[in-house]
Amino acid sequence: MNTILTIQNVVKTFNKGKVIALNGVSFDLKVGNILAVVGESGSGKTTLIRLITGLAVLDEGVIRLQDKIVSSDSIFIAPEKRKVGMVFQDYALFPHLTIFENISYGISKKVNKKERVAEVLKLIGLSDVEKRYPHELSGGQQQRIALARSLAPSPELLILDEPFSNLDVLLRNQLREDIATIIKKTNTTAIFVTHDIKDALAISDDILVLQNGNIIQSGKTKDVVESPNSKYVKLLLDSVTA
Amino acid sequence: MKAKIKNIKRDTNKWSILLLTIVLFVAIPTLTIFINLFKGPGESWSHLVANLLPDYVLNSTILIIGTTIFTLFFGISSGWLLARYHLPFKKQLEWLLILPLAIPSYITAYAYAGMFDYAGFFDKFFHFKMDIMNHYGLIFVLSISLYPYVYVASRAFFLNQSNNIIEASKLLGASERKTFFKLILPLARPAYIGGLILVLMEVLNDYGAAKYYGINTFTTGIFRAWFSLEEPETAIYLSAILVGIIFLLISVEKRQRRRIGYFNSSRNHQQIAQLHPTKKQKILFFSIVFIPVLLGFIVPVLQLLYWAFLTYKEVFNSEFISIALQSLGIALLSAFCTVLFVLFLIFFTKWNRLNILKPLTKVAVLGYAIPGAVIAVGVLIPTVFFDKWLITFVKSVFDLKIGFLINGTIVALIYAYMIRYMAVAYNPIEATSLKTGKSLVEASKLLGKGNLYTFLKIEFPLLKSAILSGFILVFVDVIKELPLTLILKPYQINTLAVKAYEYASDELIAEASLPSLFIVLTGIIPVVFLNRLISKK
Repeated sequence: MNTILTIQNVVKTFNKGKVIALNGVSFDLKVGNILAVVGESGSGKTTLIRLITGLAVLDEGVIRLQDKIVSSDSIFIAPEKRKVGMVFQDYALFPHLTIFENISYGISKKVNKKERVAEVLKLIGLSDVEKRYPHELSGGQQQRIALARSLAPSPELLILDEPFSNLDVLLRNQLREDIATIIKKTNTTAIFVTHDIKDALAISDDILVLQNGNIIQSGKTKDVVESPNSKYVKLLLDSVTA
Repeated sequence: MKAKIKNIKRDTNKWSILLLTIVLFVAIPTLTIFINLFKGPGESWSHLVANLLPDYVLNSTILIIGTTIFTLFFGISSGWLLARYHLPFKKQLEWLLILPLAIPSYITAYAYAGMFDYAGFFDKFFHFKMDIMNHYGLIFVLSISLYPYVYVASRAFFLNQSNNIIEASKLLGASERKTFFKLILPLARPAYIGGLILVLMEVLNDYGAAKYYGINTFTTGIFRAWFSLEEPETAIYLSAILVGIIFLLISVEKRQRRRIGYFNSSRNHQQIAQLHPTKKQKILFFSIVFIPVLLGFIVPVLQLLYWAFLTYKEVFNSEFISIALQSLGIALLSAFCTVLFVLFLIFFTKWNRLNILKPLTKVAVLGYAIPGAVIAVGVLIPTVFFDKWLITFVKSVFDLKIGFLINGTIVALIYAYMIRYMAVAYNPIEATSLKTGKSLVEASKLLGKGNLYTFLKIEFPLLKSAILSGFILVFVDVIKELPLTLILKPYQINTLAVKAYEYASDELIAEASLPSLFIVLTGIIPVVFLNRLISKK
């Protein structure tokens, strides 16, 4: 299986080096896999995805996408050139654009926008919403539109940043399954960031646990569940069964 | 160290260079004042220090103390009474109280001077004359023109204040009066001090009213040094002292502002309960609230209307129309350039990845703290230098004779307006841009769109109303501006503010009314905007 993303010894600090957000993090992600990045607030999850997307610059280390260096201490490729899609925690739907305009925003000129928008809307199970504005939709519908928008340009890597944190429990359970199905159906490689281990277990192939900017365990989700290597990871897993 | 240099090299993009260029462009006038300080003062400096400087300091101090007392009284009392009591015409009074801001203080000064003068309103109807062209008169005029700054800040604070603390005070047995003086007034201090600093900045910036009333202040001193003594060095030294005083005031305000967060920490927010005053209270409170509106807006506007009625036949001619059009044209162009440069500054800062450059954006707000006369001096010196260099260069290279290209032209004037009023447009645009949310911009980038596309498709449509309010605010400020315009305006061009000033200086005060009324009418627009903004909050 080919590697799509390689992270090597990535260091990121804030406050002139006083706060270490990521402390020499390294891992690989294979094409077609779903990786869950788990950790509590302040563990470095958000910093990690901001570095991968190019929304922040690293201090040290190297990030490769499709074997091409996109971030290092001397190279920086702008986010718009990385072909990485993202579903934001607050969905970030453009409030002044219709659903059609939102979804077609990132689609290349070479592609038939109408067809592609219809295709992704069908995929997420929503139709007849193209002419509506984001504020006219429910939270769950906005969530799906955010996913459709990020899938529409066919990104090489999709990142989902705490996508369910704004939803109530019932909707959350429903969407969790739906999104896993959609991502698998499109064979998209994805990184799924969450502080809720339940989300991670339901969706991911691989799991990576972060604590204070360090990876404390990573591997196949099944393996991590079966043999947690620390008290912290065990506590995290116990919280699901509790 | 090597890694850091590598990072700087990696993070430097074209926006970093453009940002630095804009920052330098904006900072030139201030840097000029600063650099020229090292050249030493002019010949008259020692004479000025011995004879005139004490006068400037004393007069400015008297004005500061006097306007502080009156603006605080008018501003806080009206703000509190409207927030706490049901009063007749409450809704109307809330916005009428801001209207004096629409009248430049020099115009209010002309109106009152005329009213108390020989053959003025009081002489005509009551055979009563009074010389108000002195310190007291100037304090009165500045106070009733500028108290709205304190009123706006206090009112916003009172509206956001929780009722719980007032109820707690009452339950502890404190009377309404004690609650106000012991609790509300100290709590509101950061807010009204913020408003007061703006008042004092305007007092120190004033030229028209002080000059007309014959009071020597720092600003009139800068004019005298520049035009009468023909000593730019001395003008620069005076400017530096004035800027020093203003930055001292700003640092006081900043210290106060830091405390606002602490005072506003109340969580269970419930607005202040409104009381029904007794009949006697109603009359007293209504009078306290209405008097500043009457003195600061109604009386001067009525006087101007009366004068305009008497003089419009002579004043309203083709020259007036031409001046009004020039004023509008200059203000529109200045507002456009200012908003454009503010957008450059805000977005180049966003798009630049070098963190060390980001704080430099704050140079944009510097100009508003610096009086117009000082900015004019700061613009004149480098532009004269540049023009002289260009003339020599063109002569030596192309053997051609050219005149001044920037100095004495509209370019220098608009440049100076931009520096002075950038903060006026910067604040609303930046605040809205921050509110728009980072994630929308980031989403656009991750959908493959670059900075410019994201700006045009996502940010600009969401910023339109903030850009428009910034534009209108700058436009009106430029229409009203006097000292800077007097120094920098091209010989063949005139503005309504300068025309009104010229009439008043020639003792043709009634004739000054028509250009003044035009300025007042334009000034009402942002007042309505400002009121809407506070009401929304």
